[in-house]
Amino acid sequence: MTAAVTLDYHSDTYRDAYSRINGIVIEGEQAAADNYCKIAELLPEHRDELLALAKMESRHKKGFEACGRNLHVTPDMTFAQKFFQKLRENFQNAFAAGNVVTCLLIQALIIEAFAISAYNIYIPVADPFARKITEGVVKDEYLHLNFGQKWLKEHFAEVKESLKEANRQNLPLVWQMLNEVEQDAATLGMEKAALVEDFLIAYGDALAEIGFSTREVMQMTAMGLAAA
Amino acid sequence: MFGLIGHLTSLEYAQSLADRLGYPEYAEQGLDFWCMAPPHILDEIKVRSVTGQVIEGRYVESCFVPEMLAQNRFKAAMRKVLNAMAHAQKHGIDITALGGFTSIIFENFNLEQIRDVRNVSLDFRRFTTGNTHTAYIITQQMELAARDMDMHLQRATILVCGASGDIGSAVCRWIAHYYPNADLILVARNQQRLQEFQQELGMGRVLTLEEGLPLADVIVWVASMPKGLDIDPAVLKNPCLVIDGGYPKNLRTQIQRPGVRVLQGGMVEHALEIDWRIMEWANLTDPGRHLYACFAEAMLLEFEGWYTNFSWGRNQITLEKMAQIGAVSRKHGFQPLLS
Repeated sequence: MTAAVTLDYHSDTYRDAYSRINGIVIEGEQAAADNYCKIAELLPEHRDELLALAKMESRHKKGFEACGRNLHVTPDMTFAQKFFQKLRENFQNAFAAGNVVTCLLIQALIIEAFAISAYNIYIPVADPFARKITEGVVKDEYLHLNFGQKWLKEHFAEVKESLKEANRQNLPLVWQMLNEVEQDAATLGMEKAALVEDFLIAYGDALAEIGFSTREVMQMTAMGLAAA
Repeated sequence: MFGLIGHLTSLEYAQSLADRLGYPEYAEQGLDFWCMAPPHILDEIKVRSVTGQVIEGRYVESCFVPEMLAQNRFKAAMRKVLNAMAHAQKHGIDITALGGFTSIIFENFNLEQIRDVRNVSLDFRRFTTGNTHTAYIITQQMELAARDMDMHLQRATILVCGASGDIGSAVCRWIAHYYPNADLILVARNQQRLQEFQQELGMGRVLTLEEGLPLADVIVWVASMPKGLDIDPAVLKNPCLVIDGGYPKNLRTQIQRPGVRVLQGGMVEHALEIDWRIMEWANLTDPGRHLYACFAEAMLLEFEGWYTNFSWGRNQITLEKMAQIGAVSRKHGFQPLLS
């Protein structure tokens, strides 16, 4: 959908909000690259594919760093690291326990769906330079979502309950994270309701593809949303 | 496979239904939550025509509620429609009807300009507003009920409210062709569009609703508004035939006066075997036998293999197309609802 307001990409207000959002995107891509390397250790038979995904995420990171430089913005990495801290901890705990299902849910479903929704909502309101870069990135992210989907679908019977539990623990974090950046996102022309809806579509579609029924998808995706 | 995109009639009803169906996550939530809710395929439908032919379909709940329009949540309303369409297309549905407010939102907000919804490029040939069949059914309801009431349409004063809209303009064209001597009153909110339409039609006079209502033997109500409109039954003629083809369909409860007959416009009665649950949710008098004509159009297009946007764009409905959809409507067992 087209932007209803004209954004001044070079104003102080815009660039201030951009410093945090840009930081989050860079940190998110870095976390994704790290996470895929870790998952490759848990799934050695998919090592090559996963390392290729990690490489793609590093490339995305570089693209988004260029977006910041283009607007003369220094990304707020301290904010960004704090932003991802809980989700990162949950991933690291799951990895330490050898829990590949939770690792895949956090990285390949939640973070990917979060990235897809944020990029989709950002593209129509982005500056021309960032738009071009983000359009390329979002195509890749659909492929990444697809990797997690495929693996979890093949093992659906044995991972179903663990996925539900992992969803219960991690999805509410997403709503908290969205609330934290609601104002900054709005400054960039991105509406929270649109972000949530897009996330629910990408995440819900992935859960349905993995094997969950419509009823289960509705229950799982709404987890913690009301409290947010 | 055919599809139906629909919505519930109010937030309160959506909440109570979600509760009844066992979705407490949706039942307890207010408008903000529904503004973020994604579309869902909530029903798998099997339909057997009176000819014996069997087809399959899906019901896509858009999670739109009319309060979004009443409270100016237009962006949310637009997202509901586009996302439901993308959902239908992603699930391989060949022809999908946009039911209730969804086709009105599509048209009024010019959503045809937005083809790309995330990673889906919408193929508009896969969608139909269902308005041709709705217009056909309304004209049949008018003709049959008038005959029943000993009313002669040729000499009647017929008021069409929403005359410049897609369905309204089709009904007016039909009246102009079959009953050229009728006294046609054209009413609509958009005066400029109405004047242009009157010139194109070459018939009818433009009046306000207040001026027109006391004069009308037949009222065809095809205007849609998020909250409905209050009509004072005392100003209506006796007898008077009212065909309520707008949204919400609330004229029936509003107008209860001897001599005034109110029909639920654009509804069909059918003799088909339809295995589904959604019609039970739509607050119809007989969910097993009654159905929205716009939904029936998607079924007809599927039965006939006409995978094309049969009804699309504003004021494109011709008498030929109404006759064409009317013929297959009768063939497969649909009839105008007269009860």
